[in-house]
Amino acid sequence: MDFKLTDEQVNLRKAFFNVCEGLAKKRPVGFTGLEGCYDTDEGWAYHLDCAKVFAKKGWLSLGWPEEYGGQGTIMDKVFLSEATGYYDVPGVDIFGVDMLAPTLHAAASDDIKREYLPSIASGERMWCELWSEPNAGSDLAALSTSAVRQGDDYVINGQKIWSTGAHRAHWAFALVRTDPHADRKQKGITFLLFDMKTPGIVVNPILYMDGGHLYNEVFLDDVRVPVKNVVGEENQGWGVTQTLASFERSNLGAIMGMHRQLEELVNYCNETKVKGEPLAKNPLIRNRLAHVACDLWSAHALAYKIADAQSKNEMAAFDASAVKVFSGELQARMAQLGTEILGPYGQIKHSKWSVFEGFFEKWYQQSFILNVAMGTNEIQRNIIGWYGLGLPRMK
Amino acid sequence: MDITFNEEQEMLRKSASDFLIAECPKTKSRELEEDEKGYSPEIWRKMAGLGWMGLAIPEEYEGMGMTFQDLTVLLEEMGKNVLPGPFSCTVIGGAFAILEAGTEEQKKEFLPKIANGELILTTALLEPGGAYYEASGVNLKATAQGDNFVLNGTKVFVEMANVADYLICATRTKDGSADEDGISLFIVDAKAKGISVEVMPTIAFDKLCEVRFENVSIPTENMLGERNKGWPVVQKVMQKGAIAKCAESVGGMQASVDMTVAYCKDRVQYDRPIGAFQALQHIMADMWIVTQTSKYLVYQAAWMESVGQPCAMEVAMAKAYVNEYYKWVTERTVSLHGGIGTSREHDAGLYYRRAKAADVAFGDTDFQRELVAQKIGLIS
Repeated sequence: MDFKLTDEQVNLRKAFFNVCEGLAKKRPVGFTGLEGCYDTDEGWAYHLDCAKVFAKKGWLSLGWPEEYGGQGTIMDKVFLSEATGYYDVPGVDIFGVDMLAPTLHAAASDDIKREYLPSIASGERMWCELWSEPNAGSDLAALSTSAVRQGDDYVINGQKIWSTGAHRAHWAFALVRTDPHADRKQKGITFLLFDMKTPGIVVNPILYMDGGHLYNEVFLDDVRVPVKNVVGEENQGWGVTQTLASFERSNLGAIMGMHRQLEELVNYCNETKVKGEPLAKNPLIRNRLAHVACDLWSAHALAYKIADAQSKNEMAAFDASAVKVFSGELQARMAQLGTEILGPYGQIKHSKWSVFEGFFEKWYQQSFILNVAMGTNEIQRNIIGWYGLGLPRMK
Repeated sequence: MDITFNEEQEMLRKSASDFLIAECPKTKSRELEEDEKGYSPEIWRKMAGLGWMGLAIPEEYEGMGMTFQDLTVLLEEMGKNVLPGPFSCTVIGGAFAILEAGTEEQKKEFLPKIANGELILTTALLEPGGAYYEASGVNLKATAQGDNFVLNGTKVFVEMANVADYLICATRTKDGSADEDGISLFIVDAKAKGISVEVMPTIAFDKLCEVRFENVSIPTENMLGERNKGWPVVQKVMQKGAIAKCAESVGGMQASVDMTVAYCKDRVQYDRPIGAFQALQHIMADMWIVTQTSKYLVYQAAWMESVGQPCAMEVAMAKAYVNEYYKWVTERTVSLHGGIGTSREHDAGLYYRRAKAADVAFGDTDFQRELVAQKIGLIS
């Protein structure tokens, strides 16, 4: 067993970090995370600019087969996510690059791949995911948005919700019900791609608790989508979603972000005097920062294990659930600790009074996103219990 | 990067597991807790036959020449199966200290005998009045007299001193200097005149002893390492000891998770296995998650130590982390078993008590976190 990177990997990782460090200098003040990408015009433009920089270097198609313009390995993609995570730099569309592209590689026809992969690799087309519905959240297979075939089109009617960035995205990948009479709810679901400008789509904001515009509800009213836009087979969409197992799941981006946050807190505590003494000398603060550091390094070690297993095609879904749960909840604790170290200033939004541009005030709220999205942590614990530990499911 | 154990290590793990399950079932572990010696000479001889004591001792000293990482694989299995005895205090505290600081003569004298299972060694470091793992805590006096040093004072929490052949004793050989300066180590014959040993009753019945030194005369040639410069040696051995303890602990964590899951699949209440209740499933999921995070943190530290990378921070992190989660996992294990988990006859308590013992060995959580605080750059 060894945790050593090859010289080539060290150099590539360094290149990723160098580019991201440069891009970070151009970041709009107060920009952070997904909300940063979708909330303001400025943030969105920055996201697109970063995407173009990565695309030029071929970094949006890392780990793809060469015939689709790919280069490098899935491990290289992990290193890129460490760099973007550390510098909080956008540009890698989590929906297009991270989720859809691996799905297309695993499940789509050559025609679909040839049509949709190039604009993901070039960073020109950004995507959103239309999966959750008001009555299909954790129980996603209960979704009811219908797609009825009429000639060469489907006509889609229904409502989607919690659609991150749907107000900005160019295209969507959606789950719709094509067979309402199937004997199991997982059957009769189809995975579809469509342009968000298609007539009949109405996107309304659902503002986050901090007022940011990240989520949306999306109404689909007689939306016509060509049948050729199906990924995989009609009614087999649930199986297509399961190929997302190939979605990079080490969470190293979030983990590297926390490394930077910890460094900033350490510097802050070294430089900030309270009652005449640097905060760093307060034994309680030392203990709490060290506690979080231990948790962070443990998450990092497990994340490397997940990445290594995934690159060898040996990762079980519940393995990745472990690091998702642990690192997501650690981010919540890190944000809480950050606000607590800042004392009354921990509540200040980006302004002339704020510390770290209000970063911890923001993440005190934003960290829920990590623990609710992509399968809540409670669902992740079910997955671990059922598939990892073999515990019985309640009938 | 290849974060899997190699074939040789997997074979070692398997054979260790097979051996320990056969030779040291939990009934035996409990029996040994109540045994005066605290270990089984019969199992010890068989372990020596398998080469375990010499696993990480170089071949030139009759060991197997395997790595420290390989040794941690073995320790993990020992923690999983609860093997009481002087293995780690002999191998880590004894053999590694001698490898680190010994003269060629000392290595030739002690290491082959350790490798062959002929000697039990242990470290005498802590002293009454705090019993903490810092240089300022070492005050047992060693005074030069002709060709000898004379030792006076008391050591506490000396593992297996009741059966040890030699103690590696940290002494103070110079006064009035910085804490780290003036500490010297001696290889002390445990049967030397003036030494008295008394077993301290502990939560894991693991034969931690008080050792009193009254005018104990030790030949100067038994000094281990340089005079007054013993502290860095102690630190290096402690670092290995902390990783070794973590390796044992993650073994114990895995055993606890496995035991709890098996019980919850089997135990029926309200007409269904209690493991079908999500209130319990999520606790077990969390137990499994922190066992995973603990393992890879420990594996990383063990790898770094094994290849000689500086890893003081990673080791302190691993120890602090595992301390807390071993206690938590075993507390949950007892709780999920209900009444039976609290009984002397059940295995849950074996691990719960060992988690407490592991916590304080080689520095507790607050001690380790202070090291971490320094290493992440907080000024002090």
